[in-house]
Amino acid sequence: MQRQPSSSGTQEDNEDSMFTQPSTSQVQRGLEKLTPAQVDQKTSEVIQYFLVKDQKKVPVRRADLVKHVVKDYRNIYPEIIKRAARTFEQVFGLKLVEIDPKNHTYILINNLEAADKPSPVECPANPKLGLLFVILGVTFMKGGVVRENVIWNTLKKLRVDSGEKHDEFGDVKRLVTEEFVRQRYLEYVRIPHTEPMEHEFRWGQRADMEVSKAKILEFMGQLHEQEPQSWTQLYREAQASSSSSNSSSSQR
Amino acid sequence: MRKSRRNEEAPRQNGSADFEASPVGLQDGHDDNDTGRRREIRSKYRDLINTVQQNREDMLSPSTDKLTEVLEEANKLFKDVRRAREAALDAQLLVVATDLGKEKASQLFSEGSAFDPTAFAEHLLSFMGLNRLEDGDGGPQNAGAADGYLPRDAWHRLSRRVECCFRTAPSFHYMMGSFHAEPPAPKQRTERQRKAPSKEAKRIMPTQLKKMEESHQEATEKEVERILGYLKTYHQDDPTSPISYYEFVVDPNSFARTVENIFHTSFLIRDGLARMYLDSDKLPCIAPVEEGDIEAASSSSRKQCIISISPKIWKELIDTFEIKDSIIQPPEPHNE
Repeated sequence: MQRQPSSSGTQEDNEDSMFTQPSTSQVQRGLEKLTPAQVDQKTSEVIQYFLVKDQKKVPVRRADLVKHVVKDYRNIYPEIIKRAARTFEQVFGLKLVEIDPKNHTYILINNLEAADKPSPVECPANPKLGLLFVILGVTFMKGGVVRENVIWNTLKKLRVDSGEKHDEFGDVKRLVTEEFVRQRYLEYVRIPHTEPMEHEFRWGQRADMEVSKAKILEFMGQLHEQEPQSWTQLYREAQASSSSSNSSSSQR
Repeated sequence: MRKSRRNEEAPRQNGSADFEASPVGLQDGHDDNDTGRRREIRSKYRDLINTVQQNREDMLSPSTDKLTEVLEEANKLFKDVRRAREAALDAQLLVVATDLGKEKASQLFSEGSAFDPTAFAEHLLSFMGLNRLEDGDGGPQNAGAADGYLPRDAWHRLSRRVECCFRTAPSFHYMMGSFHAEPPAPKQRTERQRKAPSKEAKRIMPTQLKKMEESHQEATEKEVERILGYLKTYHQDDPTSPISYYEFVVDPNSFARTVENIFHTSFLIRDGLARMYLDSDKLPCIAPVEEGDIEAASSSSRKQCIISISPKIWKELIDTFEIKDSIIQPPEPHNE
């Protein structure tokens, strides 16, 4: 089997653009030629691939999935994804979500509702979550977009200096502008016409799916000793987003 | 005629365009004043653009009207603009000012109560357990920590509290680690390359070393064979009577020998040459596997088990089973 070393995005983009979604009748015909055991096996492989890729929280691209796992079964791709999504829900309590319908990238999120209170069990939490919360929280409270200086200044007050190595987080700038962005928690976009170059932060596609605005607002209320409703517009937005995420279903 | 007048100005790349696009160019009857005036206008525009860019924070603050002032200034300047060159600068200023205006507008977003990141940071610090020192000498290592230092678990405390805001899928980890997406590259070529030098390397190594390695392996194999011999002999003496496993492996004179016997016996089990079973009293017994049965045994269900023994257990076995002699005689000393 020929194996080409994976290059930069171009080759994979080409492969993905060559991959056209098979029609329902094509899928049907494809299924007829395979045994149920074969389809199950391929579905399991896809599931395992996702689970391991999810360790780093980097989204999975359809092109990679087809190239590395699905391979010859690409003609029944929609059926495999459908079955994988079902298994994720029923067996693992996870939801397979396509966060980017244009570039066809998927992530896994927890299908179970987050607990209302922290778990009574003293299990260690990932400190990066706290950092992410600060950035997402400030961005949300400022209307969804915020200039990077606001974030860096806020972090500095919390003893996290983007210019220095932090005990807990190491290279903070790289963590925030590269890792969190790659994981799709944040978007770090250039502001045009700025001299010197400045960027703004927004919520990323993963954050839109995974993070509850209502819960963030609730914690903000506790910190500021205010009712969440006192931020009227934000409260409305938080309520709207939580109801829409409850009704959304995984695609394909 | 116009060309000679424009000699004082530095010739530009799109000088001709300027010439053609010049709006009301007929008005410059006063040539020298005009050139000076043009330069002045351009310089003022550049100043305005700089002001907007350098004082962004100031401009954005809702308490000042600086942006409006800049725009009013620009309006005045624009009245005197005659050439495309100045107009271009005006356009550039407009772009920069509009960006700023857009940002100012987005600042109006927060109706109700505003959100102040500084206050937020203060509340967070308290939540994370900031120890506020009274004297204010928190030490130079904390940047801006005039008032205290954060405990080591500060971020963990925060993370635990905000976990419930995230619907993150728990990560799945194999015990044996992860894999790469691509299959491993074929290895044949490197192996062939390695074989050539290794042959020579073996020649250089002293032959004595080679002999020693073999002798280690041989020793174990010899032992296992020897023990198999004992087992068979013992079994043949009385084929119907089961051999107690403990009686077989325990050497009442040496704990170390007992352990070695267990070790070597396990090879017999592994290779299917002997089998262990429980008798009616649920005590383990061992028996050699018949010649013809060896093949069949490999395909039948094989179980694994782990045996552990300590000096205390060893003594108990000797007492319980009243083991006086070892079935497996210790090997000759020079073999070890």
